[in-house]
Order: sequence, then structure tokens, then C-alpha cells
Amino acid sequence: MTITILQRTIALRVTFIDDILNYDSLSIVGLQKNTGKTECLKYVLARLPLDRKRVAVTSIGIDGETTDQVTRTQKPEIVLREGMYFGTSEAHYRQRRLVSELIDVSDESTSLGRVVTALALTQGKILLSGPSSTSGLQRWMRDTRRHSIDLAIVDGALSRLSLASPAVSQSMILATGAAYSINMSHLIQHTAFIVDLINIGKTSECNMALLGPIDKGIWWIDTDGELHEMEAVTSLSQQVQFHGMERCKTIYVAGALVDSFLEKVRKNKSLKNVELVVRDFTKIFVTPQQLRLFEKNGGNIKVLQKSKLIAVTVNPTSPSGYVLDSDALCDKLSQAINLPVYDLLKN
Amino acid sequence: MQLKNVIESPCGLRFMLDGLDLQSGFARRWLLDSEMMTSEQEITACYDVLRHFVDFVRSIEPSFLNTLLFRLQGVKDIRTTIKNLRQSSTLDDIELFEMKHLAILSTEVIKLLKEHNLDQVVEIPSLNEVITILDPDGMKIASFYIYDSYCEQLKDLRVQMRKNPDQQEELLLEAAEIEEGVRKDLTRQLHSHVDDIESALVALAKVDIDVAKARQIVEQGLCFPEISGDGSSSFTAMFHPQVKDALSRAGKQFQPVNISYAYRPTLITGANMGGKTVVLKTLTLCQYLFQFGFGIPASAACIAIKDEIMFCIGDEQSIEKGLSSFAAEMKNIDAVIKASRENRRLLALIDEPARTTNPTEGTALVQALLKVLSEKRMSLVMTTHYDIEPGSAYCLRVKGFDNGLMNYSLVEVEDGEVPHEALNIAQSLGIDPEWIDLARHELEITE
Repeated sequence: MTITILQRTIALRVTFIDDILNYDSLSIVGLQKNTGKTECLKYVLARLPLDRKRVAVTSIGIDGETTDQVTRTQKPEIVLREGMYFGTSEAHYRQRRLVSELIDVSDESTSLGRVVTALALTQGKILLSGPSSTSGLQRWMRDTRRHSIDLAIVDGALSRLSLASPAVSQSMILATGAAYSINMSHLIQHTAFIVDLINIGKTSECNMALLGPIDKGIWWIDTDGELHEMEAVTSLSQQVQFHGMERCKTIYVAGALVDSFLEKVRKNKSLKNVELVVRDFTKIFVTPQQLRLFEKNGGNIKVLQKSKLIAVTVNPTSPSGYVLDSDALCDKLSQAINLPVYDLLKN
Repeated sequence: MQLKNVIESPCGLRFMLDGLDLQSGFARRWLLDSEMMTSEQEITACYDVLRHFVDFVRSIEPSFLNTLLFRLQGVKDIRTTIKNLRQSSTLDDIELFEMKHLAILSTEVIKLLKEHNLDQVVEIPSLNEVITILDPDGMKIASFYIYDSYCEQLKDLRVQMRKNPDQQEELLLEAAEIEEGVRKDLTRQLHSHVDDIESALVALAKVDIDVAKARQIVEQGLCFPEISGDGSSSFTAMFHPQVKDALSRAGKQFQPVNISYAYRPTLITGANMGGKTVVLKTLTLCQYLFQFGFGIPASAACIAIKDEIMFCIGDEQSIEKGLSSFAAEMKNIDAVIKASRENRRLLALIDEPARTTNPTEGTALVQALLKVLSEKRMSLVMTTHYDIEPGSAYCLRVKGFDNGLMNYSLVEVEDGEVPHEALNIAQSLGIDPEWIDLARHELEITE
């Protein structure tokens, strides 16, 4: 038993952190609040080799309170090490508890002021609250590169009302746990579904070039590669019509993909084997059943932006205090998703 | 009159502004807030500077231009911070950073402009002393914190912080007090430079605007206007950039127009689809571009300065205000008549007045309008389809159908008699022959 734990700990150190270093950006997302996302971020920040890599960290979503407004649990400040860069709002920068050097004040505006980027000159605590839109996040990440930063880490959000998508990062860690459900099989099933969504492949380079700049509406590409817009509909609309789309090869939904739309595409005979493209997995709001039926019927979903999922972490403790068996959860989930799963608190 | 008040004018000013490749949001705001120039001195000075920038844009390497544009992208609207400094409220680290950032940026831009002797043309005050205040270690990097070298005691506290992380909270508190003292001192030192800082910020926005205007002149083939001394304006090969752009997308060419007007009213008649409205739009556009210091879409132009520019065109917005198109038009023209009674230099451009009412009364209204406005010392350019007595008006006519093709050029005619080409044009549009033939028949009966 001791050996198993030791092996797991060593494996954790080696694979996990070293994997991160292979990418220039990482987002850490939680399946739900209190699934250990912040613990995971702390874990990563504490172990990155700052002598070799310049690291910057920020957060998306409507963070900011020291106490979580929804669950009233303590929302920890992040401890940064000397030499780390960070992006936060003006309001939180003024509350910093470390010595830091400002290197940039951006035009990105949040409810807590503009997003500023600074370098920690001592270790210390900071509240993170970064860009609140996907394009803002992309700009922040691009700007960090201008300051020769090797790795940009984003404290992400999934279930929160965030407009910024963490899928713009190259790699991703997903935090899941008993906060979502204290029924282990239910938790594993749902986590596996989200993992499937994160792992959805990218569409062709050609489609990406064509669809990348489009941020609203529904579009389709015919067999000659011509792009057409479906007029005056959103994917939420009940009045979706697929007239004259016999030669349709690809459909692109710029907004949210929902069950009713997926069902309509599936039931339309002329759209058999169609490729459905969405911006990234956070735009998919369909049930596993509808997705399975769609794929069984020959359809497939692709994304424009994809992060490589490096690992999944679990927090077996629910906010109400119920604790799942950590080892059993890690093993079963790992089997279900074919990826390493870690309980960071335990290790 | 600020640019932002007239930007939505139907003459197409927005198209010109959207086509400006401005690097900072601040420059765009500054441009939109700029006042319309009405003095010869001001306009001359503005175009003199712009001429240098056109020469500059034409002569530099693309990489040099990109370096300059990249610097200008960094300009931020720090007017609030400047205001705080003016009021001597202690600046925080973010505000001090903004000051330092601007100071370094402006120094870099001055250096770039100097290479092309443009520092003689635009005045950007040197902020070297500001840099010295905010860069005690001489790093010349646009980053900022309350540096150790500002205070020996602060330096010691930070050394202790790194040695004893568990005492950090107390040490930070102690340091915070010292830091605040340093900020107060820095604010006091910066206060005497506040005018230079503000001037530098505005100058950088102006450089951004001038480079963008110069690039627009070069790319769209615009010209520098002469300032007319006698109140008359004339344009050679004038074109409307937006219409030209739309036509070229459709694989067609814009036919440039020569036109001039003075205090005598100018009456433009001509067939439908002859481009009369486009001529009025372009004249309005040119007048605004001139008085906001842009290049003029023509091969040559000599323009008189006006205090007020009034463009009356069938206005769709008035329907939203609950006025019928006729009522809205009457009110607009009424405003022109009222303005014409004031002792100001007025240019009015009126497109087909009274077109939506019956032709008998319409003709009477237009005839009377022409008489009323002819007596005023103002410039008037008006289009119409009605047969009216031109009186003293200078009459121009769109050449119209010429060997089966539309000729858009304007020719001077003796009287204001309107051409009768509506049926020919309708026919060329492929309109149902049953309708058109019957209309021809009706005409023959009345004649």
C-alpha cells in the first residue's frame, strides 16, 4: 500500500508538472464550484520550476470575493512565488499582499477595473480576477508572450456564468468531485461525458480558416467549400429550416449548441453524415443521449478550438461534508476516461 | 460643432472615419471630440502638418511605419490620471505606471519622428524629467513599482521579507506606510510637469491621426485643397469614396464630376439615376472633410470656409419621430431659411425639395424657395425634377443618356428645363413594357 501511494506520488510529480511544461498555456477548470480547482492551481503553482520557465497566472469568471457568494465557503487567495507574473483587476491589485512590479495596464475592462499584469518581487497573496471575455483572455495571453512569458495559466470556469472560454489554452486540467454529486457512478458518468466533450477533435484547417472569424449565426459549407449563412436563426430557435441544403457538408453553430437543434439536424435526411462545428466544447449544451443518437446516425461534432486534457483531479469531499472513497473514485474514473486521475489533497 | 455630432450625416462621413487606421482608442475619441475648424489660419496649419506626414508616409520603409504604429498603439487615455495629478491627489502605483509608460512612449516616438525631421513639425514636449523621477535605477523599461532605491528603509524591510516569510504581513504593513510617503513625494515632483504630460498625450494622439489621414490620402488618391478667398468652391474630378468603393466591388467605375459654386444658387437638374444626389452628398462630404482637415476626394479642389453646413435629404429617421416625410422636409428647409437670415457663412445642399407632394404645389414651393434663398448671401446647391424659372441661378444638368450609356458629367445650361428621360431609363431597366408603352401613349395624348 505504501509503495502504491509512493509510486502514485512520484508519477504525479513527473507526469503532471512535466506535461504542463510542454505547452505555452494551461487552463484549470472545475466541473462545478468546490471541486478543488483552486487547490489544483495552488498545487501547480507551488511546483513549477520558475528557474526554467517564466509563468503568468490569471483568472476568468466573476471571481473576486474572498468568501464565495453562492456557498459561503472560504475562497482562498492565491499564494504566488517570487518571480511569477500575474494578471488581475485594478481593484485586486490595490489589495495585493506582496511586493510587485507593474508591467502592463491593459484596455480590458472588468467590473473591478482594468486588467493589469505584474511581476511578484516577493512571495505573497493576491486575489485573481482577469479578463471577462474570450477575446480579452486571448489578448491577455498574447500580451504575456510579448513579455517573454513561457507559460500562461488560467484559473478557469465551467459552470460559472463566465463569458470567457478556457478552451483558448493549449492544455487543460479538469477538477471534478463530490460537489457535483455524492453518487459516485453519477459523478463518474458526468465527468466522463465532459471529458469526451473536451476531447472532441478539431475540424479541418480549411474550415478553421473559413469559420474562425465568425462569431454569430449559423453557417453551412457546401461540397464546393462555399460558405452560406442560414438567415435569421439562432440554434435555440424552433424555426430552424434546412431548405436547399442538400449539398451541405458542414454546419457551423457560432453560439450555443442545444438538444433541439441537434435533433433537427439528425432527423433531416439530407443532412446525414454532416459535420457539425462549434467554437469549443463550452458551447455544447446537449445531453449525452442526444449526442449519442446524433453520432450513431452518422453525424459528428468538431471544434475550432481545443485544449489538450492533461489530467483530471478529484476532490472527494462535498461542501456538505460527505466524503467519497478517494482511491476507488480515482481508479474507476481513470478507467472510464483513460487518463490519470489525482486526489491532490491526499497526495 | 464636433466631428461626433456630424459623423452620422448621410453624406458618408462615417465611411471616411471608419477607413482611418487609427492605432489607439484615445486618438479616435480625440478626433471625434475635435471641433470643426472655421478659421483660415487653423485649416492652413492643419494641412501644412498633414503635407509633411504624406511625404513621410510616401518615403518610409513599411517596417519603420510598423514600428511607429506599434508605439502609437500603446497610447492610453490617461486623462483621469492627469486630472488627479493636477489636483495633487496622491497617485497610486497604477497611475504612476501610466505616467511612466506615457513618458517612455513619447520619448520613443520623438526619437522615431526625429529620424525624418518630423520633430520640427509636431511639438511633443520632452518628458525626460518624468522618466528620471519614475525610473530611479535608469532601467528605461516601462514597468513600475515603488523601487528600493527610493528609500533605504524600504529596501531593508523587503530584504527582511524575503528572509522571514512568516513575518511578511507585519513587514508589508510597515512598508506600506513608507511606500505611501514615496508616492506623495513622487506626485509632488510630477506636479510641475503636468502640462507637459498632457500636451505629450494629445500630441501623440495627433501624430496617430495625422499618420492615419496621410495614409488615407495616399491609399485613396485624395488631394490637398486650396483655401478659397472669394467664397466660391470648385472641384475637379470629384468622387465619393464610398460609392466608388461599392461600384468597384461590383466591377464598375465611378465617373468623376467637375463642379463649382459660389454665392449664386446652383440648380442641378437631370434624369433619374443621373447621380444628382451623389453629387450633393459628395459636396457635403468634401466640405466636412475640409473643415476637419482630411484629404479631399478629387484631383483638385479649392474650397471656401463655412460656418454652417446644412444638408437636406429625404430623411428616414423622421418617420420614427412621427413626422411624415413631407413635414420633416419642410422643417429641415425651414431651418435653412432661418439660418440664412443670420450673418454667417452658410452652405446649404438641398436634395429634390417638395418631391413628395403634388407637382403643382411642389413646383410653386421650389420656385419660391429659390427666390427666397437667392436674395441671401449664402451658397446653395439644389437638385430638382420640377420645371422652374431659374432666375439668377446657375444651372447645371447631368448629361444623361448619351449613345445608350449614362453620362454622369455636369454641363452648364441656360435654363432650368428638366430633361424628360424617365421613360427611357425605365425601359433600360427592363421594366414591364405594357406599363411603359401605355405611359408613352398617355404622354402623347396630353401633348
